[in-house]
Amino acid sequence: MLLDYFEGKKVLDRYGIRSIESKYVESSEDALKFAGEGKLVLKLISEKQLHKSKAGLVKLDLSGHEAIAKAYRELEAKGRALQPYRIIAQKMALGGVEIIIGGNEDPQFGKMVLLGLGGIYVEVFRDFALRLCPITRQDALDMIDQLKSRKVVTYGGEATGMIQDLLVKTSKLLYENGDIKELDLNPVVVRPDGYDVVDIRILK
Amino acid sequence: MRAPIDLKPMLKPKSVAIIGVSRSPDKVGHIILQNYLNAGYSGRLYLVNKSGEEILGMETYRSILEIKDRIDLAVISIPAQFVPEVLEECGKAKVKSAVVVSGGFAEIGQGALQDEITRIAEKYKIAMLGPNCLGVVDPRSRVDTLFLPTYKLSRPEIGGVSFVAQSGAVGSTILDLISGEGFGLSKFISYGNAAYVDEVDILNYLMNDDETKVIVMYIEGIKRAREFVEIAKKVTKKKPVIVLKAGKTAEGSAAAHSHTAALAGSYQAHEAIFRQFGFIIANDISELFFYAKVFASEPAPNGGRVAVITNGGGVGVLTVDAVSSSGMLSLAQFSKESSNALKKVMPSLVNIRNPLDLAGDADDKRYSQALSVLSSDNGIDMLIVIALFQTPGADSRLATELIRLKENMQKPMLVLSIGAEFTKMHKIMMESAGLPVYDSPASIALALEALLRYSIYKEKH
Repeated sequence: MLLDYFEGKKVLDRYGIRSIESKYVESSEDALKFAGEGKLVLKLISEKQLHKSKAGLVKLDLSGHEAIAKAYRELEAKGRALQPYRIIAQKMALGGVEIIIGGNEDPQFGKMVLLGLGGIYVEVFRDFALRLCPITRQDALDMIDQLKSRKVVTYGGEATGMIQDLLVKTSKLLYENGDIKELDLNPVVVRPDGYDVVDIRILK
Repeated sequence: MRAPIDLKPMLKPKSVAIIGVSRSPDKVGHIILQNYLNAGYSGRLYLVNKSGEEILGMETYRSILEIKDRIDLAVISIPAQFVPEVLEECGKAKVKSAVVVSGGFAEIGQGALQDEITRIAEKYKIAMLGPNCLGVVDPRSRVDTLFLPTYKLSRPEIGGVSFVAQSGAVGSTILDLISGEGFGLSKFISYGNAAYVDEVDILNYLMNDDETKVIVMYIEGIKRAREFVEIAKKVTKKKPVIVLKAGKTAEGSAAAHSHTAALAGSYQAHEAIFRQFGFIIANDISELFFYAKVFASEPAPNGGRVAVITNGGGVGVLTVDAVSSSGMLSLAQFSKESSNALKKVMPSLVNIRNPLDLAGDADDKRYSQALSVLSSDNGIDMLIVIALFQTPGADSRLATELIRLKENMQKPMLVLSIGAEFTKMHKIMMESAGLPVYDSPASIALALEALLRYSIYKEKH
């Protein structure tokens, strides 16, 4: 069962993993109000669709009444086939490298944590590292080193410590919450000096 | 979690009973007996056969219960349906261990029959290997339960590499191939259906076995995953484990609900655990050998800076390419002192740089002079010595000199020799003396990388 987005956000909060400011919206006016002066993302969330971007369920870089209203209408139209669904508004993240941090439960070994080059091509490039939970900081470093894209993902090492932190926290979260069967934080947008968890998908 | 099963009675038995021994030379029981005799097993050997007839001039017993001696190991090769009864008798006779060679259990859907013999083994605390397995070879104790005749499958020399395989077919081909390598065998264990003794018990035994320097495993599946993780953590702190896992291409779950689940299938989980706990992962059978060989003889390196010494320019360049394309290795810079010392002793046609091309007429003396200088250069962590035996200067004296130099070498030193019969002869010479020889730049780079990776793992975890 897919955990409600904001329930998921709370779980991440408990482990000190910050995710981007978000809100469910019921109308384009709602979304406009949430956007304020900044740029906005609208997403449709449904248990029936894992690949949101590919299915056109993510509208990026929105600003102004017109653009937001248009995007909202389009999502509503797509939502009819994906009932039940919710539309979520998020602050637009600053640019950066997209990584995936994930977790699942191997039927034999138990909870595993994953790090990979993220975004919509994650299953195309398959550049990822996997470990059994709980992991040490050294394990986290080994995972980063295992990626072919390690130089890109860490900005030549600048973001290494931050990604290590995120991995250790995620591993702890997975290890301590037996009921969480799968977890996708994809993408996590990484910059040399910070990150934003932009999408949360937790299955219980 | 149960206590690990001790395999000592199986691998170092003072007394062995072969149950199901047969008069006809093509029967499994007969071949096993023949192999015991060929290997020169020096413990007490008993034969059990229902008919009680004499075989190869040896007395047989109708049942294990008739033997007055305490039996350490029973090798059972009789039809599956009779195994429970015979194992029960082994229990009553206080037999300590058993290798059940017979097939016809879980592998053909006879799970209940397998459970029955497992229960008997548990009840009498018999260390039971199998069923449906080749069993064990230990060249030191001269135990050999394989039902494959030695004229078809050569047995390796005594050495430090232990080989563990679930599959009999993979196991026997690898055993055959090991006999053609210079490094020898410590233990061979093919454990088949793993009804009782499994990979966890085997790793535990080999971890504490002083005769085993390197463990090589072929795995299809792991029976007790949590226990495996616990032993995996411990074993690699003591010795290297090289693993080849089947099932890489098995389809992941098509109905994955997350990207993570789509990526992290069963093979990936196994591989992740092997990496996490410092196993060396081989991708095919030949890689098992590249790795086994280097770990059997080489010390841990201080780093990944490689010096290449060659008597052939082109092969030197190809080797530099292989070293440079490895993510972990790099080409070393010779120190000023080394360069000056080399200039003094090398003929003028030798360019003093890495790779050091000693030229096609290089003989054992030139190699010796070069290696003596470079072995004490602190900027060099590992040495690749390319010895092409097709050249005018290279002959058995070179092989002998390299063996001599190896004896005092503190750093990993590997030889690359590519060629047919004449080269192979020298390869065997060198490898028998503990100097590993490779036949391609790519394989030598893989071996050095694994050696370095393991030494870093041990340092950091």
